[in-house]
Amino acid sequence: MKPSTPSFTTDVVIGLEIHVQLDTKTKLFCSCPTKPVATKQNAEDVPNTRCCPTCLGFPGSKPVANKKAIDYALKLCLALGCSISETLVFSRKSYFYPDLSKNYQITQYELPLGTSGAVMLSTGKKIGLTRVHLEEDPASLVHPDSIERSAFVLIDYNRSGIPLCEIVTNPELASPEEARDFMKQLNAIFEYLDIFNADTCVVKADANISIKESGYIRSEVKNITGFKEIERALFYEVQRQNAAVAAGEKLVQDTRGWDAAKGITIRLRKKETEEDYGYILDTDIPVIDVTPEWIAQIKKQVPELPAEKVHKFVTTHKIPEEDALVLAQEKLLAEMFEKVAEKIDPILAAKWLRRELLRVMNMTKQTFKDLLIDEHHLIELLELVSTKQITDRTAQKMLEELIVKPFSPKAYVKEHGLGAVSDAGIIEQYCKEAIAENPGVLADYKSGNEKAFHFLVGVVMKKSKGKAVPNEVNSILKSLISH
Amino acid sequence: MTSIVQQVALFQQGASIEEHTRAVLAETREINEHYHYFTALCEKEALARAQFLERLSAKEKASLSLLGVPLTVKDALCVKGIESTAGSRILKGYRPPFNATAVQKCIDAGAVVIGKTSQDEFGFGGFSVNVGLGYQVPKNPFDPDVSTGGSSGGCAGFTQKTTFPHLSLAESTGGSIVEPASFCGVAGLCPTYGRVSRYGLIDYANTLDKIGPMAKTIDEAALLMDVIAGPDEKDGTTLREPCTVQNAAGKGVKGLRIGVVKEAFGEATDSVVAETVWRSIHVLEAAGARYEECSLPLTGAYGVPTYYILATCEASTNLAKLCGLRYGMQEELSGTFNDYFTAVRSNNFGAEAKRRIMLGTFARMVGFRDAFYIKALKARQLITNEYLSLFKKYDVLITPTAPVLPPSFAHLKKLTPLQHYMLDILTVGPNLAGLPHLNVPVGMHNGLPVGALLMGTHCAESTLVQAGACLEKNSKNEKK
Ligand SMILES: [Zn+2]
Repeated sequence: MKPSTPSFTTDVVIGLEIHVQLDTKTKLFCSCPTKPVATKQNAEDVPNTRCCPTCLGFPGSKPVANKKAIDYALKLCLALGCSISETLVFSRKSYFYPDLSKNYQITQYELPLGTSGAVMLSTGKKIGLTRVHLEEDPASLVHPDSIERSAFVLIDYNRSGIPLCEIVTNPELASPEEARDFMKQLNAIFEYLDIFNADTCVVKADANISIKESGYIRSEVKNITGFKEIERALFYEVQRQNAAVAAGEKLVQDTRGWDAAKGITIRLRKKETEEDYGYILDTDIPVIDVTPEWIAQIKKQVPELPAEKVHKFVTTHKIPEEDALVLAQEKLLAEMFEKVAEKIDPILAAKWLRRELLRVMNMTKQTFKDLLIDEHHLIELLELVSTKQITDRTAQKMLEELIVKPFSPKAYVKEHGLGAVSDAGIIEQYCKEAIAENPGVLADYKSGNEKAFHFLVGVVMKKSKGKAVPNEVNSILKSLISH
Repeated sequence: MTSIVQQVALFQQGASIEEHTRAVLAETREINEHYHYFTALCEKEALARAQFLERLSAKEKASLSLLGVPLTVKDALCVKGIESTAGSRILKGYRPPFNATAVQKCIDAGAVVIGKTSQDEFGFGGFSVNVGLGYQVPKNPFDPDVSTGGSSGGCAGFTQKTTFPHLSLAESTGGSIVEPASFCGVAGLCPTYGRVSRYGLIDYANTLDKIGPMAKTIDEAALLMDVIAGPDEKDGTTLREPCTVQNAAGKGVKGLRIGVVKEAFGEATDSVVAETVWRSIHVLEAAGARYEECSLPLTGAYGVPTYYILATCEASTNLAKLCGLRYGMQEELSGTFNDYFTAVRSNNFGAEAKRRIMLGTFARMVGFRDAFYIKALKARQLITNEYLSLFKKYDVLITPTAPVLPPSFAHLKKLTPLQHYMLDILTVGPNLAGLPHLNVPVGMHNGLPVGALLMGTHCAESTLVQAGACLEKNSKNEKK
């Protein structure tokens, strides 16, 4: 066993190994589909229906590398700023587990496709990446009852051979919150690259965690599924290690599992020696040259990434960084913002997309992919707002309807008579009525109660059915009262 | 005797394929009873196939180069629906749901598969005496107390023994086509690595395995070679170059430069074997070839250890999947999965398979990997370079195929595993370098055949056929 090297400066040290499923149509080494195929009988995925001799590991079968999966992995490596290996070679990692059809996994060992990339956190801190490589997923084990109580286990090979990219970070994350931020940034990059499908693809992580108080004795938590779970598991593990040290316990290096239902980690085994996988080359797959031409071609497909977008939004569109960070997080949102900002004041556009659009989408549980409205709807709506033809309140209400069933905002305003009331005569009329109807409130205001004034504004807005321009109401009301 | 080409012509002119197949099956049953060449016979399927071919139109028949030809297939190659075990009890009951590409190509060309032939378990041996538990050792067609050679012993023995035209699909990792071909006096062509798709071959060692033809004559081996060669999208290691060797046979050897590897004629080689092969070198010379002695010092010194390290490392990962869970042998479920698969493997792998799994696993473990596996990869590159530099000067290299006459079973029992391994010394070199090589029967001694080994550079199969056919023609008087 290697002695731990407590050369860290932070109190908590976290390293992550992320497995992300690449969104290809077929598996990594055969032409079986990666997603359920709906049949007349079944819309659902039926176990062991998407497999062939190769993904079942039948004697005589051979793996053939899927070019698309390599393209995707290459795209990810380039987006993460990795150095790219000149050749792509696969290795066999031998171990026995019932879900592994060949009893070895085809992965990359000697020469990972990408090395020494980085991901920038929202704080600007850079997290270095040790390696990014391609590998196949094993099958899945299905326990008919709980793991402890099942008399047998079923194996579903539909997942066997699904293409995964493994991303290994340096141990440079200093808290569960940083780990969450890292995952958020990474996820945004996945989305931008269009290589990952949040609905059908899975993200899994193994995490190494240690704390200063124990002398950085690390635990490895295996198989954490999903973004939220990663932070939860890390948070738990830091607490557990702290409590153990506080209770005078001496920590030992171990491997743990994350029980999401109970919210705890469980020791799987003491880690005294590295497992020996006896790696050899998998020569069924010929050595593939990663040529400069290939790299250049994929590089062209890498879009402007979130960090670049943030930079551009702040410097050229002059919007607040806080807004830029939110807008850049989602590729489709960022693109929509860019289109809207061509026609509308970017600061106004940023405010409306970031706050209002996201709020309304949240209400209706819509994602960008199934969003019915496009930038034209938003441009029309915000033109009405910026030229004060409608009030913010009206615009908010319209957006709520627009998002469910799109329509032309301008025509809608005309049809429903929603145009903002900025005619001073009408507003003055409403104000006078409001004052006359609420003598007590006026007295309150005069004796120094500011709230009373807002009440009167509210009455006027109600009378105008929300169409009065608030600034106008304020000034007219003020001048009437001060007389 | 009728040749393949003549037989196919007879069928195309209307001779009954079904009748012929019935006769073939009867003779096969009879031969097998005494010589144990088969792990599985598929008479029902063969007859059905013959009947199907018989019903084809004259036009359809005319397009099939192997119409009605009885084909045997080494047990390591998958034949759809026919038990395919690579000669191992652990795969008992495995009926592949697909044909190996080479098998499919033969079927598409009109061949009739009549059975799976016996072999050393997974190809682990040079004498077909390491057959899997429960299988019988094949006997040499010239003397039942003598080995057929291995591991494609069943292919070789049966190819020699039949009175009817017949072809066989064999497989080589370290010499398993040419060596049994030599011991049984038939033609065996081991092609360039990647010439023939390995899809459907139950792996021994992926960087070394090749499927190749065995036949009564060089010509017929060439015919089968052209049928099975070519790129295959199911095997990423197949070569794109087209392969046409059939027409090379009649070209003669005028001006051919031949290198005689002198290490192969040293003390370790039987003098009668050396003399017979030297005679054949003079036959080639008389036909217009020039020869010169040359040397392969690295291959001689490091070929065998390099081969055994790489082959066993690869084999140990290939065999890992055989654990009684998914196909083949299953046993009573008991204990944890570790207990279960350990028991299945202990009970069903033969001794040599266990030995090679242990050797290979050891050589790739941390701490030994660099000293063995990685070093062997480097040695292999040096050996390949050594060959390629000789092929700048020579078109063909020649040695005996085996250093000894086919040994008796009694003699083999006395050898240690290491002595067994050392008998592969002449054939592991071209296999490590992925070079094509051909066994040509060149004479008999005490009623047993002697073979010459011709080796060529990558994709030079046609040169080998050219030289081999010349040798075959001119050595005829000395045979039998
Ligand atoms: Zn598949």
